[in-house]
Amino acid sequence: MKRRGVSKVLGIWLLLAGIICPQIQAQGKKPEPPMKLKVGDVAPDFKLQYFDGSDDKDVTLSQYRGKSNVVLAFYIFAFTGG
Amino acid sequence: MKAFQQNLKQLEAADTQVLGVSMDSPYANKAFADQIGVTFPLLSDWGGDVTRQYGVYVDKYKAARRVNFLIGKDGKILEEQIDREAIDPKKIVDACERKKVSR
Repeated sequence: MKRRGVSKVLGIWLLLAGIICPQIQAQGKKPEPPMKLKVGDVAPDFKLQYFDGSDDKDVTLSQYRGKSNVVLAFYIFAFTGG
Repeated sequence: MKAFQQNLKQLEAADTQVLGVSMDSPYANKAFADQIGVTFPLLSDWGGDVTRQYGVYVDKYKAARRVNFLIGKDGKILEEQIDREAIDPKKIVDACERKKVSR
């Protein structure tokens, strides 16, 4: 009885190791996390502001629907290169 | 942003609106735009809601990754450029040109 209990515990540990280890390995190999949004996905609508020099202006993605393509260029901070 | 400015005429001729997005304030972005001579809007995602929605928020920087999305007139994503690749927007400019020709 006792021996069977030990092997059961060992079995669970091996199972857990089998699940966790490949995940750790995969994380180590992939420095770039995969993108949440992929080519072909619908881009979520948004409403954001910019300052045109005298007023705050609203911009939505949906205002361009059917009219023009949109390049959405995310950058890290103002006053950095690129 | 400068690279998009250099290609702005080509992009506009291909029916493409360029929008920069960062988590800076609208006023910091305006000053940045003036300094580097950018004439397209630099949008302010103060708080980062849209940055998170697009899955480009980086905890380590408390800011966005450098990512360019090209979104078609139907609202679907046509191209993505990520991190280092996103510095040179040639892939996106070329994709816009191709669309213009194929129309």
